[in-house]
Amino acid sequence: MVNFIDVIDRATTGPMMTQKDFDVKVVIPALRRALKKYNIKYDRKEFVNTDDALADRIFEAAVDFYSEVGTYILDTERIIKFTKGEILEAVEDAPKQAYFGEGPDRCVMKGRMPDDSELPYCHVGSGTNTSEENALRLVESYARIPKAKTISIPIINTLGHIRTAAGAPTEILAAIRAMQYGREGCRRAGRPGLGIIDHVSSASTGVSTIASSAPQFGARPSDGWLIAPFAELKTDYSSLNQTAYLTAWGANIGQEAGPLLGGYAGGPEGLAVMNTAYSLHGILVMRATYHLIYPIHMTYVCSSQPDVIWATSASTQAIAGNMRVPYYTLMYAAAGAATKMYFDEALACLIMLIASGSGIEDVHPGKAKITDGCTPVDMEFTCQVGHAFRGVTRKEANKLLEKICPKYVDKLADAPLGEKVNQCYDLDYFKPKPHFQKLYDEVIREIKGEYGIDLYKY
Amino acid sequence: MNTQEAFIKMSDAVQEGDSDTLIGIIEKVIGEVDPLILIQKGMMPGLKKIGELFESGEVFLPEMLMATEAFQDGMKIIEPKLRESGKKVESPGTVVFGTVFSDIHEIGKNIVITLMGTYGFKVIDLGANVSPTKFVDESEKVNADIIAISALMTTTMTYQKDVIDYLKERGLRDKYIVLVGGGPVNEEWAEQIGADGTSDSAAGAVKIAQKLIADKKGGVS
Repeated sequence: MVNFIDVIDRATTGPMMTQKDFDVKVVIPALRRALKKYNIKYDRKEFVNTDDALADRIFEAAVDFYSEVGTYILDTERIIKFTKGEILEAVEDAPKQAYFGEGPDRCVMKGRMPDDSELPYCHVGSGTNTSEENALRLVESYARIPKAKTISIPIINTLGHIRTAAGAPTEILAAIRAMQYGREGCRRAGRPGLGIIDHVSSASTGVSTIASSAPQFGARPSDGWLIAPFAELKTDYSSLNQTAYLTAWGANIGQEAGPLLGGYAGGPEGLAVMNTAYSLHGILVMRATYHLIYPIHMTYVCSSQPDVIWATSASTQAIAGNMRVPYYTLMYAAAGAATKMYFDEALACLIMLIASGSGIEDVHPGKAKITDGCTPVDMEFTCQVGHAFRGVTRKEANKLLEKICPKYVDKLADAPLGEKVNQCYDLDYFKPKPHFQKLYDEVIREIKGEYGIDLYKY
Repeated sequence: MNTQEAFIKMSDAVQEGDSDTLIGIIEKVIGEVDPLILIQKGMMPGLKKIGELFESGEVFLPEMLMATEAFQDGMKIIEPKLRESGKKVESPGTVVFGTVFSDIHEIGKNIVITLMGTYGFKVIDLGANVSPTKFVDESEKVNADIIAISALMTTTMTYQKDVIDYLKERGLRDKYIVLVGGGPVNEEWAEQIGADGTSDSAAGAVKIAQKLIADKKGGVS
């Protein structure tokens, strides 16, 4: 694989252009050409792609597209480009397994295949806005879920009464505090070795990530650090600085991206190719040892919309079948926590991911926009579904989604806000409040009644 | 080609993002038709249509960007004649738009700006990493109606509040409609910092802008 030093050299020697020209004159036309050349079409007849040949063509289209486009560097206004040969060599050389955690909690994330009977990797937690008073107990509640292999830790955006701000000293202090809460929460749950693989959501700049990753605050190279791009296929020196530091340390790097359906990628076909191209960018530029995609519909701001579900299923299969990299997907529900609609959206998304060959993370309620808007019940549900629906095929998944999706699709534009964690979950006793437990029991009963699967057995 | 045919073809060319065809038609008819009418009846319907198709999910950002580019190419030919005529295109309002200080994400802002353009708003794009003082100074310079502030990260949305605080410090808060938006932004946050509105979607942002401007000008929303 092309050496990282060569990659950053290309950031100063590659073709130079404005960001707007990159978007309009490079990305959009190249994606259109790739979709046409490889005949990537979505006929809206199925929720989960079942066409292996199409998945392979999506991979080929992504390789073609990425070799034409590359990654734009905002600081130098240059493009890091790779030949097709370099991209395919990187795919061959990319890590196929990522190891997280220590001691009895050490685990491995590896690629799965579509229709795989292998257990999907179950990751839980939320790198979303959380009030500081809830953060520690929430981490503890995530870490208490026995089937969770790794966790994400919350974003701390206040220091007492002071709101933190990107680039300011408050950001560094909040990132360090989030790290400390993360490790302490795992200790309190009796799982001190548990891997935290969303370092560090509270840090948006390289300097904060590096500062909070110092071992005295609890970080270990066996955790995982997510590095995000800018839409689409752009990065900057701050992100590359994180990569430089983490590769030098030998830590796990997660390539994350949330491409927009309706944005520069266009419709579902473009989104499928863009999702896949991000994994190529991840291996080569960000030096990823694992991958996270969270595609979002531009209008509904969620991922449970059927076009996004199909695009995600198709790109997951393209990546699973052709790259075999450690890979999981985060999806967003439109409905807030503690609502029936949330569980319908989450079930549809999780079944699609399990059948398509992805690892799973709890679907985030309320478009992940609500402070304290995720609950440990969402995470328990994720693990139960992951284990119960292990081995579900794409064909079976389509039949299930034909029943599940109509329950919520018409409500996406006006989804219920739901409740915040303190309204529906008791963080002192780590259990749902009675009204939420009642709703959850109803959800479990409905799943058992309609699909014959008792989640309480898992 | 009569004028009506020319208008239809201009509208189609804008929708298809076909600058060459659009410019060809404009050059044929510009000597015979009022430049303002050319814009209003030839190009604007195409732009409006593409905005509607975008809202209904039938086309996406690439198509809308191409249409906007074609429209701007057409305007380059028409504008000198428009200036000569002393007329100008009516706009629902002027918007100063940017991504907050310390945040260099632009896609959300760019989508909303492009859609606002299809509705005739005059939008001044300040780009990304914009300081609070720049938001306010630029708005003063162009006598803006709306200040639109985008932030994609939870750690940068706090700078949206700084823009509003600075407006208050300068005694200008009531002069402007302030809209906030971006990934982590919700109504609770907008209310908390004293913004006038927010929306999850580009179409929602345009509707709020139209409503608040109509309210401010005393019109019907």
